[in-house]
Amino acid sequence: MKNLIILTLVLFTSCSLSAAVDVIVHPSNANAIDAGDIKKIFTGKAKSFADGSKALPITQADGNPVTDEFNQNVLSKSSSQLKAYWSKLVFTGKGTPPEEAANDAEVVSLVSKNPNLIGFVSKGSADGSVKVVQSF
Amino acid sequence: MKKRYLIASLLLTGFATSSYADIRVNGFASIYGGQTLGSDDALYNYSDELDWQNDSLFAVQVSADVMDGLSATAQLLARGSDDFNAEFEWAYLTYEVSENSQLSAGKMRIPFYRYSDFLDVGYAYRWVRPPQSVYNLSFSTYEGLSYLHNSTIGELDSSLQLMVGAVDTDITAVTYSDAAELKDTIGINWSLSNGWLTGRVAYFISEATIDVSGSNELTGLFNGLQAYGLNEQYSNLAIEEDDAYFAAIGIGIDYNDILFDAEYTQFEIDNSILAKQTQYYVSLGYRMDSVTLSATYEGNDDENSNDQFNQVPRSITGPGGVQIPVVAPGTNPPLYLQDATNLALASQAAKSNAYSFTVRYDFHPSAAFKVEFTHFEDDLSNNDADLVTFGVDLVF
Repeated sequence: MKNLIILTLVLFTSCSLSAAVDVIVHPSNANAIDAGDIKKIFTGKAKSFADGSKALPITQADGNPVTDEFNQNVLSKSSSQLKAYWSKLVFTGKGTPPEEAANDAEVVSLVSKNPNLIGFVSKGSADGSVKVVQSF
Repeated sequence: MKKRYLIASLLLTGFATSSYADIRVNGFASIYGGQTLGSDDALYNYSDELDWQNDSLFAVQVSADVMDGLSATAQLLARGSDDFNAEFEWAYLTYEVSENSQLSAGKMRIPFYRYSDFLDVGYAYRWVRPPQSVYNLSFSTYEGLSYLHNSTIGELDSSLQLMVGAVDTDITAVTYSDAAELKDTIGINWSLSNGWLTGRVAYFISEATIDVSGSNELTGLFNGLQAYGLNEQYSNLAIEEDDAYFAAIGIGIDYNDILFDAEYTQFEIDNSILAKQTQYYVSLGYRMDSVTLSATYEGNDDENSNDQFNQVPRSITGPGGVQIPVVAPGTNPPLYLQDATNLALASQAAKSNAYSFTVRYDFHPSAAFKVEFTHFEDDLSNNDADLVTFGVDLVF
């Protein structure tokens, strides 16, 4: 019984963890950005925001839990599937995967300095220097 | 080091043009071992002795943004089947014409098949090798131009590629290495996808010339036909600036971890000894987290049409109405060139089928282990062979 409770707790915790990704942009970016736009930008299918300005996605390192959550919840792909997706584009000159930052802090710092960037961080990592446009 | 550099270049983006070229280095590799299960069986260059070269390869790709919208890419590929001698498989310049379209020039892959573009990148698909009945052309690159346009039509993603160029290389046609030239090759490759369902069509036309002098039999036959003045019959066999086409349709499904792929291809070089070829495969797969199972059935059917046979007369009328038999000189009993031609046409026939089972295990975000069992049947010779291949694909 105790094991069951612990198991439930663990499952609950991992569920709540998997709903904890904030997508952030520069505060000056006034575009409405929905989940579909984010998916398109992070898979290379869209290269600009609604106002026509250039959109440059930044992802995080493979091992970061937030990267897996973002890939799973927003892009609906496992990291292997995403790797396969990009290798199809990279080795044919049809696309380039997003640049990779080391952690939340680096994403916040980069996005706060460049209006063209869009990134994702764990919930609570975004500060006043950036704007949260969607949470997953 | 590399990451720091990327971050630095990222910071520069958005400011005035950076004077540093952004250089990206990527690569992929496959290491495979395989052997046939029956003694003396041979399949896909494997024998009954364990081989580690046939499907092993190593590639490095360097791409540099030369200036605004212009990039240069080169892919150096070393194949085990070629003793790991590295060669440039791709080398091209790409210009971003607009956000949705790009023009490339150089040495690139001909998009004959759905998986053509990343044929060598085993990590990108679930088989050890794409179904060989379909993916059987012995050449895969061309030199020329390629225009790619991506767009959205309603809810569908459209990817349209137009190519023009030429192929000048040694291919496997009548022997294992025949000098071939495909001039004025023009092609279209169009796919539409709604996310889980992808449909594709491709069509290419070309003017083909293949030197068959590597075959003594054909050289003898061709010389014989010309000696009797049978030039029309000769040109209906020889592959000299003959019109050729290649057509392909394909479908792909990736829905709730159920995977399905099917392709059908057909090609022919008109007025030539080479048979019209048709190929197909269907493959069903199921993905369970990091393990993907696949079952594939494939086949091919190559045949010259009936009206190509019996076109060589058994005798011609000589001076004074004398009937001269059309035979190979010095043969006794006489070998009629009609029979020799029919035999040559018939020898181009091929009919085979194969089924395979593949397990792919993604044991690392950048690497996959695969094991594949293939049973192959040659329907003309009634030979069959079983092959097991296993190994690792990775990207970096």
